[in-house]
Amino acid sequence: MASSYTVSQTGADSRYLTSTSQVGISAVALLISLAALLFVIDTGQVQELFGLSRQVEARVPTFFIRVAFLIVGLAAAFFLVTGLSVYKRNRVSFAPWLFLAVGVAFFLIYVIVPIFQSLSYSFTRWDGLYDVNGVWTGEWVGFNNYRLLLDDPNFYTSLWNNVLWLVLFMLAVPVGLGIALFLNQTVTGIRIYKSLFFFPFVISQVVVGLIFSWAYNPEFGLLSEIWGWFFCETKVNIVGNLTKVCSVDPPSILGDKDLATYGIIAAGLWPQIAYCMILYLTGLNNVASDQIEAGRLDGAKGWKMLWHVILPQLRPATFIAVVVTVIGALRSFDMIATMTQGGPFGSTNVLAYYMYDQAVGEGVGRYGYGSAIATVLFFIMLIYISYFLWRMYQDEKEGH
Amino acid sequence: MKNMLKRVSLTLAASAFAASTAMAGDLVITYDDLNPAPKKAFEAAVEAFKKANPDVNVSVNITDREAHKNTIRNALQNDAPDVIAWYPGNRMGPFVDAGLFEDISGLWSSDPNLSANFNAIKPTMTRDGKQWGVPYSYYQWGVYYRKDIYDKLGLSEPKTWDELLANCDKLKEAGVTPFTIGTKFLWTAAGVFDYLNLRTNGYDVHNDLTAGKIKYTDPRIKKTFDNWKVMLDRCSFVKNHATMSWQDAIAPFAKGDAAMYVMGNFSVSGYKDAGLKDEQIDFFQFPEITPGMPRAEEAPADALFIPANAKNKDEAKKFLSFIATPEIQGEWNKTIGQLPPNAKASVNTDDKFIVEGMATVSTAAGLAQFFDRDAPAAMAKAGMEGFQKFMLEPGALDDILANLDKVQAEVYK
Repeated sequence: MASSYTVSQTGADSRYLTSTSQVGISAVALLISLAALLFVIDTGQVQELFGLSRQVEARVPTFFIRVAFLIVGLAAAFFLVTGLSVYKRNRVSFAPWLFLAVGVAFFLIYVIVPIFQSLSYSFTRWDGLYDVNGVWTGEWVGFNNYRLLLDDPNFYTSLWNNVLWLVLFMLAVPVGLGIALFLNQTVTGIRIYKSLFFFPFVISQVVVGLIFSWAYNPEFGLLSEIWGWFFCETKVNIVGNLTKVCSVDPPSILGDKDLATYGIIAAGLWPQIAYCMILYLTGLNNVASDQIEAGRLDGAKGWKMLWHVILPQLRPATFIAVVVTVIGALRSFDMIATMTQGGPFGSTNVLAYYMYDQAVGEGVGRYGYGSAIATVLFFIMLIYISYFLWRMYQDEKEGH
Repeated sequence: MKNMLKRVSLTLAASAFAASTAMAGDLVITYDDLNPAPKKAFEAAVEAFKKANPDVNVSVNITDREAHKNTIRNALQNDAPDVIAWYPGNRMGPFVDAGLFEDISGLWSSDPNLSANFNAIKPTMTRDGKQWGVPYSYYQWGVYYRKDIYDKLGLSEPKTWDELLANCDKLKEAGVTPFTIGTKFLWTAAGVFDYLNLRTNGYDVHNDLTAGKIKYTDPRIKKTFDNWKVMLDRCSFVKNHATMSWQDAIAPFAKGDAAMYVMGNFSVSGYKDAGLKDEQIDFFQFPEITPGMPRAEEAPADALFIPANAKNKDEAKKFLSFIATPEIQGEWNKTIGQLPPNAKASVNTDDKFIVEGMATVSTAAGLAQFFDRDAPAAMAKAGMEGFQKFMLEPGALDDILANLDKVQAEVYK
């Protein structure tokens, strides 16, 4: 009796003891992988150690070796920590952090660190190159890039286009609501109509951009065909080919600096409206019918019913629709890249595209200047994101 | 034990084999044109090199031209190949300045073929008094025109600016737009600007402008734009050029709605693909503007370079001097329909555009690379946007030039 008690006692204690073998093995594994990561692979010491020439080094995909050692190292660290008695005693408060660790690490490496990197690049003149010895070739210029930005007409064009995108893209919300209300009825085959309206959202943005730039094309596009019915006639030209002669030329939407941005926004709205529509359709499913009946009894109908009874119940859907539309407007990069590449002469640039154009695109290589544009864009987005997070926080508080 | 011995001896044999192949030499080449003819020509040259040097183990990467412009930065800094394709002139500037290209002046002076037969193109391969690459091809620019339309209207190839303008008047009377162009990707406008500038102010002004020594608001450059304004008014360009690529702009030319095209020789296959026959198209040199101005031409070259990080520089040099030989240069350019930079190489005399091109380029007072190769990329981008804007809004010229001055002051710092 007494002996069995002792056994269970030690058993209970040992649960909280550091398991030496686990910690020992994983510590060794961790050390090896750290050494491999930081020292050996990077400086080519392994190669010298084994007398391999640089030829072999080039054939070995060092990147994958590094990733492999990183994974081994992470696993070793995980087992090391879980073997410690400190961890075993505080499992409940430690465990979430342990599982978050990988995500946090990647978020730091791929989001937080680059933000500060590009902030620091924005104070330099740099063409994106390191020399043969891996030495950075840029120079520190203080606020010069920002001073240049203030004096750059293309920057103001881009900024103004960003505003245009944000404002006009919001049209997707009411139009989406309108279509959702229209489609929210029970007719035979309504599912087919709904899917047809949703269809543009399924198509890739690049394809949407291509379709619209063909439609806009003043030579052979859909728009110029329709225009031709009113203003153009077909004549025979000097070498006997048929050609179109117009009394009023069809608008060259993507070639006109005053129209091009609107043309791209219209193309972007097409899938965005579909997205908002589907959000509202699901929202409408959840509208309480008893409240509608109550509203009817009180004599509400038409606009009054919509404004005072339906819309308040759609508030969550509206919130999400606004958020995704703002995000969509800021993601206008794809559409611009496919439709105009920022042209004609930079008049359809938005900040994101202008940044890409100056830093990476076509080898222009003004990385410092591009980073300054990125920083401005970052702070503009920060305002919106802070507001969004604050709203979320307020809602959470109300919820509890 | 026996097994172990076997394994050890195998490893030894394998490493000895690895060492021996390394001694014989590897050669890794990155080339940047996937279009059928250039790819074929390049592969043929590689095959010939392999045959001549069976001990060199050649491996080849061919990438897309546009993608290459982005990936070359990585390629030069990390896993560099031994030979890489790139452009001479100012486009090689950043890589030369960062020390990422190998100086091959030694090869240029020691190789009798390179030192004797490349005099016309040598300046464009030179930076800081040293040579950095070997050109394998170049091509002429000029005016391609519809000979059948010209004949129908009784026009002849213009030799002077006034003759060109007179031709334009007649073409417009006949309902033909004189020039086609597609400026969506900007660089085509730079071709027109370069020619107007070369003919108005000459080769030195072109070089000084692209080297940042002359401002864009300089009266000489303004004069170039004045001439361009005259050209826009009397020799109008097709409408909607801002939404067209250079390939799209072939359509009105092929249809007979437009009669002339300021272009490079690579466009000829495009005309033929659009259904035009050899006798319907012809070529003339961009006419003289300032009387007596020595005639300089645009003749962009394509070249091969050795990255400073290359592992097999001896083999790479061997390859570069091999592709510089008259035979290889002749074969290569026959396949792609361009001109061999080697003066001793034979050209395809069946191709009238090559014959005219050779005549144009070999008698030129100077060869310009092209605005976007002579000027640094950041300047070229802003400049070409300015040219496009000028073509659409000639009234905004003063703003455009003032803005280009600002960019210039920053870029050439």
